[in-house]
Amino acid sequence: MCHGAKMKIKNNALKIFSRPIWSENPINIQMLGICSALAVTVQLKTALVMALSMTFVVSCSGFIISLLRKQIPKNIRIIVELSIISTFVILTDEFLRAYYYDISKQLSVFVGLIITNCIVMGRAESFALSNPPHLAFIDGFGNGVGYGSVLLTVAFIRELLGSGNCFGIQVVPDYLYSMGYENAGFMMLAPAAFIIIGLLVWLQKVLTKMAS
Amino acid sequence: MSDQMKSIVFALLLCLGCSTLLTAAATRLQPLQAENIQIDRKKNILMAIGLLDSRQTYPATEINRLYQENIFKYIVDPSGTIIDQPTSSSMDQDNLMPIYLAMDSNERIRSYIIPVETRGLWGKIYGYLALQGDGSTIEGFTVYKHSETPGLGGEIETRWFQKNFVGKKIVDQNNNFMSVSIAKGRALDQVPEEKLPNYVDGISGATLTGQYLTRGLQEILSEYEPVSVRFRQNLLQCRMQTDVPWCENEN
Repeated sequence: MCHGAKMKIKNNALKIFSRPIWSENPINIQMLGICSALAVTVQLKTALVMALSMTFVVSCSGFIISLLRKQIPKNIRIIVELSIISTFVILTDEFLRAYYYDISKQLSVFVGLIITNCIVMGRAESFALSNPPHLAFIDGFGNGVGYGSVLLTVAFIRELLGSGNCFGIQVVPDYLYSMGYENAGFMMLAPAAFIIIGLLVWLQKVLTKMAS
Repeated sequence: MSDQMKSIVFALLLCLGCSTLLTAAATRLQPLQAENIQIDRKKNILMAIGLLDSRQTYPATEINRLYQENIFKYIVDPSGTIIDQPTSSSMDQDNLMPIYLAMDSNERIRSYIIPVETRGLWGKIYGYLALQGDGSTIEGFTVYKHSETPGLGGEIETRWFQKNFVGKKIVDQNNNFMSVSIAKGRALDQVPEEKLPNYVDGISGATLTGQYLTRGLQEILSEYEPVSVRFRQNLLQCRMQTDVPWCENEN
C-alpha cells in the first residue's frame, strides 16, 4: 500500500510536469506570455536565454511562495508574490549583465518584464498557494519548459527563414543564395511571430483532435 | 497579534530578506558588470571605425588587444589643438573634450572618434561617431546605451540604422559645416538630391528620437568643428616618434 501511494505521488508529479508542456501549454493553449514570445524570438540564442530565465524565475518563485503559503497574510497576498517574483527576476537580470552582457543587452527590457509575465503570477496564484513546495517547483519547471519549447520553435523558424542561421551559424548553403534564394525579411518582424504562433496553436488543436 | 500587525511584520521581514539578497548579489556582481560596460564601450569605438562587425561576438581579450593597438585617447582644447594632458591647471576643464584617434600602419591618423552624449526622447543616448581623417566623411556611428522605446526609437542601436551613416558628410558641397541629420522617413523621398550626403534614413514611428539625435549630433559636431577644420585643412596627419604626439604640418 505504501508502495502504491508512492507510485501515485510520482505519477502526480509527472502529470504536473507534463500538463503545461502540452495539454495546458501557457502560450499555445492559455495564450499567456505572448508579448515576450513576439519580442525575443528573432534569434534562437536570445530565445534560449529567455526560456532559461523564465524557467528559473517561475519554478523558484513557485517554490518560495508555496513554502510561505501558510504564513502569507491573505490581504497582502498579491504584493508578497510580486516581491518574491521580482527578487528572482532582478537576480536573473544582474547575473546576465555580469556574465552574458551581449545577450542581456539584446534582451533589453524583456528580462525585467518577466515580472509582468502572466504565467508567473498565474502559477503563483493558482498553484503555488495551494500546493506543497516540491510540486510547486515541478509545476513552475513544467510551465517554463512549456513556454520555452514554444519560444524555441518560433525562434528556430524565424532565424532559419529570416537570416538563414541556426544559433548564429549559417545553415542555408551559399549555393542556394547564388541560385537566387533570399532571406525572408518579414520573419525578423514581430507580426511574423504572431503568424507562427497562430499556426502552432492551430497545429496543436488539430493534433489533439486527431488523438482523441 | 492582530491580523493587521501580522501583515505589517510579514511585509517588513519579506522586504528585509529580499533586499539583503539583492544587495549581496549586486555588490558581488558589480565589478564584473563594470568591466563588461568598459569592454562594450571599447567594442563600440572599434565598431564605429569598422574594425569589428556588430553581427559577431568577440572575446574580451580580442577587443582589448585591438583597442590597445589601434585607439589612442587624447584631449581637444577649444581651439582644436589635440593635447596629451591639460597643460596648466588654470585651463578651463569644462572646455576640454575627449577624442579618440585611430592610426593606420604608417602612423597616420586614419580616423578620429568623438563620443556622443545627447538627449533622446526618454533619456540620454550614448554612442560614438567616427570621422575619417579628411575631417568631413563619417566612418561610422554606434550607440551603446539609450532608453528609447524598443522596436521604435530603440532601432537607433541596430545595424541597418547605423550603417546608413557610413560615407555621409558633415559638410556641404562648398565644404561648409552642415552636420548630419536624420530624415523623417526615407532620405531619398524627403530630401533634395544635393543635400542627400547630409541625411540618413529615419526610423518610422520614431520621429522625435530622430529629431533629438539630429539636434544632439549638430551640437556635438559644432563643438568639435575646430578640430574637424584642422583635419580638413590637412594640418593633422602624422604622428611623430618624439614625445610630442602631433606634428602640425604648417604648410
